[in-house]
Amino acid sequence: MARSNEVNLNECKMVVPLNTWVLISNFKLAYNLLRRPDGTFNRHLAEFLDRKVPANANPVDGVFSFDVLIDRATSLLCRIYRPAMAEEPQPNVAELEKPVAAEVVPVIIFFHGGSFAHSSANSAIYDTLCRRLVGLCKAVVVSVNYRRAPENRYPCAYDDGWTALKWVNSRPWLQSQKDSKVHIYLAGDSSGGNIVHHVALRAIESGIDVLGNILLNPMFGGQERTESEQRLDGKYFVTLRDRDWYWRAYLPEGEDRDHHACNPFGPNGRSLEGIKFPKSLVVVAGFDLIQDWQLAYVDGLKKAGQEVKLLYMEQATIGFYLLPNNNHFHTVMDEISKFVGSGC
Amino acid sequence: MVLYDSTALAGNSSGSSSSSSSKPPLPLQPQQQQEIDGLLAGAGYKVRSSELRKVAQRLERLETAMVNSPADFSQLASDTIHYNPSDLASWVDSLLSEFVMDPVTNQTVVNDAWATTEPNMPQVHQNISYEQQSLNNQLTVVTAMEEDSGIRLVHMLMTCAECIQRGDFSLATSFLEDMQGLLTRVNTVCGIGKVAGHFIDALSRRIFQGIGGGSINGGSAYENEILYHHFYEACPYLKFAHFTANQAILEAFDGHDCVHVVDFNLMHGLQWPALIQALALRPGGPPLLRLTGIGPPSPDGRDSLREIGMRLAELARSVNVRFAFRGVAASRLEDVKPWMLEVNPKESVAVNSIMQLHRLLGSDPNRSSPIEKVLSWIRSLNPKIMTVVEHEANHNQPSFLDRFTEALHYYSTMFDSLEACTVQPDKALAEIYIQREITNVVSCEGSARVERHEPLATWRTRLSGAGFRPLHLGSNAYKQASMLLTLFSAEGYSVEENDGCLTLGWHSRPLIAASAWQAVSDSPAEFPAPDTHRPS
Repeated sequence: MARSNEVNLNECKMVVPLNTWVLISNFKLAYNLLRRPDGTFNRHLAEFLDRKVPANANPVDGVFSFDVLIDRATSLLCRIYRPAMAEEPQPNVAELEKPVAAEVVPVIIFFHGGSFAHSSANSAIYDTLCRRLVGLCKAVVVSVNYRRAPENRYPCAYDDGWTALKWVNSRPWLQSQKDSKVHIYLAGDSSGGNIVHHVALRAIESGIDVLGNILLNPMFGGQERTESEQRLDGKYFVTLRDRDWYWRAYLPEGEDRDHHACNPFGPNGRSLEGIKFPKSLVVVAGFDLIQDWQLAYVDGLKKAGQEVKLLYMEQATIGFYLLPNNNHFHTVMDEISKFVGSGC
Repeated sequence: MVLYDSTALAGNSSGSSSSSSSKPPLPLQPQQQQEIDGLLAGAGYKVRSSELRKVAQRLERLETAMVNSPADFSQLASDTIHYNPSDLASWVDSLLSEFVMDPVTNQTVVNDAWATTEPNMPQVHQNISYEQQSLNNQLTVVTAMEEDSGIRLVHMLMTCAECIQRGDFSLATSFLEDMQGLLTRVNTVCGIGKVAGHFIDALSRRIFQGIGGGSINGGSAYENEILYHHFYEACPYLKFAHFTANQAILEAFDGHDCVHVVDFNLMHGLQWPALIQALALRPGGPPLLRLTGIGPPSPDGRDSLREIGMRLAELARSVNVRFAFRGVAASRLEDVKPWMLEVNPKESVAVNSIMQLHRLLGSDPNRSSPIEKVLSWIRSLNPKIMTVVEHEANHNQPSFLDRFTEALHYYSTMFDSLEACTVQPDKALAEIYIQREITNVVSCEGSARVERHEPLATWRTRLSGAGFRPLHLGSNAYKQASMLLTLFSAEGYSVEENDGCLTLGWHSRPLIAASAWQAVSDSPAEFPAPDTHRPS
């Protein structure tokens, strides 16, 4: 646990705008209140504090949204975001599931972050991000409200991701005109990025085509303490101790961080050689303490002959993509747009 | 640049909304026109740009405190009651004051050097979308997977409603016939099929019986009470309303020895046993409790109000709470005059309105409606607290089609949530209870249309304008409400915190909203200081 607080607080102040600092520090503070040393989580307080927004079937800035219960048994909800058609200022609400119009419409299945324990599909920060992705990629975005830890450990989040993928893949109204298939991309930040990888694996095994994976500051780890973890511990909003807490909350009891969910290219991982894995866009923030694991992930993909593009944003901290007030944000959004736009 | 209305800056409510009673919002006081950080607003937090630095410094102090005494901090975590997290400045301040800080010696030297934003970074304040969501029509839809015929039915319902709005009744009638046919092929046991039937009926009534209301509202008071009771049993909405209101009333009555609750709609008095018992158990002993219950006159010579009162009195006696009851029979809430309540100036008054205020909203936006008069006399009673629970929906929009659309989605969601109930006849009668609301919203107009539901944002503006300030419901009330819900087998109900109020809904769709208010003691034009987030 970092001792020299003055230094730490000052360092991260230097690299982010004031409102970002306030936002992320607020999360850090709140999250500290929620994690209990015994591994339990104050879920009531977490839900109370989380700022949520309802869906809105009336378009705002050209995007409308609605929620769909895709699995009653697990109460699995997804929020669907669609672009409003230019000619209709207000879509006829009966036409929420109107077939997508264009030749090719990317459908991005999005998994929000929160280290497997925090946030929801209807959290304000993620609602904002998903709306942005619609306009950016001219896509339909499906944000999955997956079950969270510690109440629901591995593999619940992956199971929910898989359910959502199957659901999306089987919607006639999401099929692109060109080939009557759903053009699916998987995207996620933090734990959501981790989920992207594992859901993509299942997709391969089951023959569902995923056109691309987008991992924003994905959450990976391992038993070893890496150089970046030691160097950056406590310096930019995140501590090793809290990372450890979240892995203990998500992984099956008794498992360590070399479990393949946490460390997909580690001692218990599987090789992706010879497998038709989707192309990946991996974004790593230079001030993220787990970057060594993220870079190892990229290496693992490369060694297996998979197509991967790394975007290393040197001066970025976690959460830089939540507010559009920095250059990294815009760079990354451009790259995402190109990634989804090409080879659909 | 976002101009917030004065109520928001008093730290207590969301942005102004276009109220459908077209009374203009109070003019902004000059000192209150201040810029809110647009990006943080998009994340759900309201912080004035001018306060950002101060909030940041306080966050830092909290962080330092956290590191220096982790044990105290985790105590803080488990014991503190939190209020209105959207008002970030107040939230941080309240945590700081809970965590008794040595103001001078413990403070680390704070280097105030935050990065300035990069020079060629346009400060695009994405402030519009958050605000717009409360200003525009918010239409929240939660659907389940529907088959094609279900979707076609919705489409036809909308088109039929549109014809009616245009006055094309013959085309509307032919749609009605088509829909009746389609109904036979759709699963009417649940989902859209079930609720569609009720909407088709309501549209039918509107076309063929006219908008005068006819026999639907003529259901006797007795019938209404039975339906209400089964609705109470079948789903948690009313229980949540009672529970949350009682919690707030209990807190407001803390330290007071003579208390008087005015219930705007007594029904069977289901709300009150729990409050009586809680008062009995309070440390220091119970107060003298007076309850005034308002309800419609009994047609058959029974004095049902008095009967309920006597039952409650018996309960109070059994737990040693001094209790007095008074019934006020009135067919309409607006017929009640404050003198009928016999409020004693020495008592602390709680006014409790569960789904009643919307009935006072007038049909003519150009004339003052009963709501203003009633709010005014409530205020004159100077209540310690006014608890308000209302449907979280906009069923009072001027456009019939908009109302219809909103109602279709609102009631579909509510019916969906009812599926979880398997107890009969509770479920069937609860459905009839809801069906009556649907019929009123869709097929009535003018004074016959009493179900004039308006969303929380609108009520905030109206109540603030009428001289009330919010008393925020905190994390303790939230937690207890959440725990109450786990008693129901249905997973899917969710409690949410909304700017100091609590909502209960089905999945992500809030369906009812509970709030608490206090009369501002001075003239309505004066708004209180910003950190009034605790009940006093």
